[in-house]
Parts: sequence; C-alpha cells; structure tokens
Amino acid sequence: MVSFSKFTLDNGLRVIVHEDSSTPLVAINLLYDVGSKDEDPSVTGLAHLFEHLMFGGTSEIPEFDTPLLLAGGENNAFTNSDITNFYITVPAENIETALWLESDRMNCLDFNNKSLDVQKKVVVEEFNQRYLNYPYGDSLLCLKPLAYKVHPYRWPTIGIDPSHIRNVTLSQAGDFFYSHYAPNNAILALAGKITPSQAMKLAEKWFGNIERRKITTRELTAEPEQTEERTQVVERDVPASSIFKAWHVPASRKEGFYACDMITDILAGGESGRLSVRLIKRKKLFSEIDAFITADIDPGLLILHGKLMKEAKMEEANDSINETIEDLKTKYVSAAEMEKVKNKYESSVIYGNTSILNKAMNLAYLELLGNPNLINEEADLYRGVDKTIVMDTVHKYLNRSNCSTLFYKSTRKER
Amino acid sequence: MSEIRQMKKPLIKQVDPGKLPEPLLVFLKNGIPVYITDSGTEDIERIEFSFDAGSIHENSPLLASTTNLMLIEGSEKYKSTLINRLLDTWSAFFHPYVERDRAGFVIYFLNRHIEKILDIAGEILFHPVFPDSELKLLMKKRYRKFLIEKDKVYRLAAEQFFESIFGNQHPYGRQTLPADFSNLDRELLSDFHGLYYRPEKMAIFVSGKIHKDILLLLNKYFGEIPIQPVIANEFSGFPSGQKKRVIHIEKKGALQSAIRIGAPTINKRHEDYFGLKVLNVILGGYFGSRLMKNIREEKGYTYGVSSSVVSLNLSGFLSISSEVSNKFTRNAVDEIYKEIRRLQTEPVPVEELSVVRNYMLGELVRMFDGPFAAAESFRSAWEFGLDNSYYTRFAARIRSIEPDEIKALAKKYYKIDDLYEVTAG
Repeated sequence: MVSFSKFTLDNGLRVIVHEDSSTPLVAINLLYDVGSKDEDPSVTGLAHLFEHLMFGGTSEIPEFDTPLLLAGGENNAFTNSDITNFYITVPAENIETALWLESDRMNCLDFNNKSLDVQKKVVVEEFNQRYLNYPYGDSLLCLKPLAYKVHPYRWPTIGIDPSHIRNVTLSQAGDFFYSHYAPNNAILALAGKITPSQAMKLAEKWFGNIERRKITTRELTAEPEQTEERTQVVERDVPASSIFKAWHVPASRKEGFYACDMITDILAGGESGRLSVRLIKRKKLFSEIDAFITADIDPGLLILHGKLMKEAKMEEANDSINETIEDLKTKYVSAAEMEKVKNKYESSVIYGNTSILNKAMNLAYLELLGNPNLINEEADLYRGVDKTIVMDTVHKYLNRSNCSTLFYKSTRKER
Repeated sequence: MSEIRQMKKPLIKQVDPGKLPEPLLVFLKNGIPVYITDSGTEDIERIEFSFDAGSIHENSPLLASTTNLMLIEGSEKYKSTLINRLLDTWSAFFHPYVERDRAGFVIYFLNRHIEKILDIAGEILFHPVFPDSELKLLMKKRYRKFLIEKDKVYRLAAEQFFESIFGNQHPYGRQTLPADFSNLDRELLSDFHGLYYRPEKMAIFVSGKIHKDILLLLNKYFGEIPIQPVIANEFSGFPSGQKKRVIHIEKKGALQSAIRIGAPTINKRHEDYFGLKVLNVILGGYFGSRLMKNIREEKGYTYGVSSSVVSLNLSGFLSISSEVSNKFTRNAVDEIYKEIRRLQTEPVPVEELSVVRNYMLGELVRMFDGPFAAAESFRSAWEFGLDNSYYTRFAARIRSIEPDEIKALAKKYYKIDDLYEVTAG
C-alpha cells in the first residue's frame, strides 16, 4: 500500500507526497504536462530539445548540475509524446537544494544562442546515434506515420527529421517555455524520507511565489478510426528482416487498457508467451518477438515486433502471427495462463514499489491521468480481467482493419 | 514575465553514507555461504546464486555464457517449456548472468512462492540436461543477435578494444567469431557445468523482506548437495596486451564513429584504486565531467561521452568511450588526450574536487539504498575478497584525497603512450 497525500498551491502547482522512512533519500519528480503531441508539425522534436535546454542554467544559477552534485544528488529527465519529466534523488537533508534548483528553472530559464546551438548539435547526434545509426533505429519513425494520419502521435518524440531540430530559433524556444512551463501546468511528486507537512511547507516556500502562466490550449484532432489494413515495405541494410505491427488501442488506464496490456503478455511475455513458444521455439520463424502497449494519454498503439530467422519468409512469418492472434478470438485463454499473466502484473507492481523514484514518477503520472490511487488499485484492475474480457478485447481491437504492418526487409546478401 | 525571486540559496549539508552494515553470514549444512540483507518494505525477495563460472574458465568461446543460458532449457525433472512456464507462473523476474569472472542466476519473487521458486532454482542450477534441440535453437538466436550487434559501431570498437588490451588468446580479450556459434555441443556444456556449477564454488546472496524459514528452505534445496574437495581451477594466465596501439575499423555507411581509448589497469585490491576512481569521475564519470563539458556541452560533437574504471579478478581496465559525428572523430580523440594531459599537469581546482567528492558520496548512499542495491554492492566487493568496509574506506578516501595526489595518479595510470586507441565507423 502506497499512502500519499496531495494538495494544490495557489498558483496551481499540484503536489503529491509519499513518505517512506526506510530510505535516507528523497525522490523529487516534476512532471510538465507537455510533450511532442503539443508541437507544431513543422517544428517537431522541440519538446525534447527543450528538455535539454532546461539544464542550461538561469541568471540566478548559471550551472544547474553543480549545486545538486554538491548536495550528493543525481538527476535526469525524459520526454515522450505526452509529458516532459524531470527527476532527482538526493539525500533527505539536502532536499531544499533540489527544490531550489527545480523552482528556479521553472521561474525563469536563461535562454541564449550558445546553449541553444550546442544542444541542437547534441540532439542531432542523439538522433543519429539512436535512430539512424543503429540497426532498426528508424522503425518507429516509419511505423508511427503509418498508424496515425492526423494525430500528432504520428511523429516520434525525437522529431520527424534532424532538420526540424536544426531550424529551431531562440524565440520559438522562448515561446514554448512560457506557454507550457508553469506551476499551473506541472505536478510535483515527492517520495522518500519526508513527511507530508514538511513537503507542504517546502513546496510553498520554493514554488509558491512563481506566477501562473497562460498555457496554450491543447486542441488535438482525434485520430479517425482506421478502416483498412495498412502495410508498408522498407528496405534496409540490416542483418535480418523484421516485422512491426501496430493496432490502435485505448488510452492509458482507460476502459480496455488493462486487457490490452495483458494480451501483450499472453502473446509475448517472457519465454513462455504464445508467440515465443510457437513461432520461436516450434516453428523457428523468429529469433525474437516482443509486444507492448504505448500507454499514451490519447488512444495509443499495441505494437508487436519480431526479427526473422534467416530462412523464414516474410509472408509465412506474418501469417503465423495473425494465426496466433486469431486463436485468441475462438478459444478462451486457459485458467492457468490467465493466472500466470495476472501474477506477473502483481509482482511488477510490488517490485515497482521498492523504488522511491519509481513511486514518485508513478504518482505524478497517475495524478495527471486523474487518479493517483491507481498506484494501489492497478493490481486488482489486472486481476479483474477475465478470459471473456480478453476474448472480447481481441475481437474489438486486434483486427486486420485496425492494423498497420511495417515489413522491414533486409537487403543484405551475407546473412 | 519573470522576476528575480531573491530566494536564498539553501545550505548544503555534507553527505555521509554512515556506517554500512555487513550482511549476516550463515552457512548451509554442506558449507555453502549465505549472505543475508534483511530489510525492505514490500513482500518480495531477491536471491542471487553466484558461481565461480565466468568466461575466464572457458576453453571454447561462448561456452560459459551458453552453459548459463541453457540452464533454464530443461532439467531432469522439468522440460524447457515447463521451466519457463513455471517461472512465469510464479511471477518471478529472473536473469541469468555471465561476467568475465563469475556467472549465476538472479531471481526476484513474491515471498509466498518461495518453495516453488527454490525447487525450480535447484533443478535449473544442479540438474540441467542441455537438450540438443534447445541448444541448436539458442545458438541460432544468439547468432542473429550477434549479427545485429556487429552492426553497431560501439560494439565493434568495444570488441577490438578488449582484444587489444587483453590479447586475443585470453578469455578477457578474445573476440567472438561467427564460427564460435557452431562449435559447441551438449557434452562441452555438461563438462563445463560439472566443473563450475558446484556447491563449493557457489555463494548465495539473499535480500529483501526475508522469509522466516529461509535457512530451513535453503538447506532443504541446497544444503544436502554433497560437496567435494575444491579442485583448483586451471589458471588461464594473466592477460597481456597487443603491440598495436591504434586501430581503426572501417564500417561503411556509418553516420557516427565509436571511440574507445584506454588500457589495462589495477583493480579493487590495489591501494591506488580509490584515488583512480575519483580521478575517473573527474575525467568522464558523471554528467558534469570534463569530457562531457568539453566534447558534448561545449562542442556538441556527441550525445554522450563517458569514462570508467572496472575491476576484474586478474586485471582491470580503464576506458573512455563515445559515439561522435564522423566529421569530428579526430577532434574528439584529440580533446580526450587534451583532457588527460590537463589532469596530469594542472591540479584539480578545489571547487571541482568538492563537487566530485559530494557526488561520489551521494552515489555511495544510493548504492546502499534498499536491500537489493545493498546486496549487489556487497557482492561486487565480496568477489574481490572484501566486505562493506571497502566502501567505508572508499568514503574516507573520497574525503581525504588532495589535488596533488590526483595529478600524480593521472601521470601514473593514464600514460598517453600506454593507451590503446580504437575507432570504428
């Protein structure tokens, strides 16, 4: 049981606290309700670039890292389609240093061309390293626009193309800050050696005097229902051909979400998942298969990915995946298999709760979704999914007309 | 829009990892040592079964890792698919691991499943049968992964780097070749298992919210296994580096080049090791390091650059690695040498040293935050014959080391002429 309390400052900052006295540390997670879905289609990658700029210092504190390191702290951040999330762990006695730093960069960032130019280069190198220079690195860059035609989820967080990042101007960056980074667009979660009353006092002290800002209203066009199967073939110089499939599924934690998540486990969870047993072990069509849901705040995707064995034919491999899915539509999943995947979720939840940072991140994110107590309710929500719900869910979502398939063909002779 | 808030900077308190308790040591009936770290808020436990079975002992490449990965592929009592299903059913998270010196199996599980988990663990570790068909499939899968890895420039550079610093005849340095994937058979695995997965070459590390019957249960599943007199392992000899110190590996079409610069060095048993660790952090061991500041934050050549110092039983190595834009490979390499030279000639400013000190002390606190982290940290000292007092001494040295000593260490351990330089791209 993760107990927590929450309150909202006058400026709109939501604060959520979980006390865990077994650790000498505190985890501080500051979530901003802005992600790559909030970008202009001609300036993609800006939200993530901005995350980098947040480490560039302010007029008050020219170097973000130094004081935090002096306090024995450690920090990092990530950006995805929905959120930009900054986090710190620090020995509890130095928590004020962390709050001083986080509140200072929320109050006012020091934009300058030098920091912008360097971070643009760094992010372009990140783009090259992770998405272009690694085998299969561009697969999501291909798959997302196949699955989404309208919604901004069609571009990945890193951006559509490095040129978008290179072209960002200082004034675009400034506008982005003032229209998204604000107390009234953020959630602060604290977990670890801190009491709720301490937390309230400290949050008020450090964040209370930052003014509200006018946040750009989010007007996203919903992705229209997909009605036809979509396929795309790309050819790349990689060691093995691959198949990527994506189905539209419900938004994170909404009706149907938990069942879809469990289906990914039935199909590809661990070594005993159905696709692993049938298509890797028995048929030897794939060398690896995995499946996951993107868990986005707007309706997301269930993505399945498999790398083919040398001898396997693309068509046969794809048909075998489809057959395995069709099976789920006609035969109920056995009680033992249901129990297996449910147990897995129970232990993931419990395991996740052994880390204060994980708890702080989860609480902030679930607060954004509207119910932080999901942190305690989710194990039961997974338990509540039964074999009929699984079958209904497969019927509802895992259809060909709702599916996009990317055939990632290897052109390499020597395989 | 944004006013100056006039907030007073908080006072920073000196970070202190304090006294680090040792795990409780008990022995099973047959003498297997069990190290217990009992704390934790959730009803979950972690057990690590660690064997002196690393790749250092293999005569054929991939033998140690394949033996380890095949443990879950079938035992006398359970078939491969059943083991996987059971582990998944009892919601265990498990990962087999093979390092250069040690190998084993880590498993996390809910306390109420402890008996079932220990039963399976006993089967996996001591009664594997290494079925042929599973072995063939595993090698096929591993070969596909190998080919993908070979497409990554950092991988190419890393493999060459270890061959260069440890030699291609020594298990620490040997590169994996395509033919290695077809040279193993069941008998080789069985022999390797028989020699190294033995109770007398094993230690158990238990951490988390410890089950009240843990010793009873461990004795039931592991304490009855008969032990034999310890046979000394065949000594593979000390590794020795190759002559050629600068190597470039061409990879057509690569957008970036990987860089690896480094050399063999001392390990945790050496008195200079703590100081070398501090020096390494200054150079490239944290986000604000000199290499990060220079190559990423000033010049934008790379997404990341880091340096590390790693201990091995028979050696150790220091290395600097990065993936950089092709146009700047040479510049980045030059800057790396420049930063090393600067550490050899100029004493580290007191302010910078104090940042590094506090960061490292904070790291020590994090390394012991929670039972699982504490158990892992203990194990990595234990395998060098040390205990948690190693970390207490480390903390003291972090506080006491002076700029002149760091300069002297930079001269002693980062001699430019002794460094190997590998690039791939």
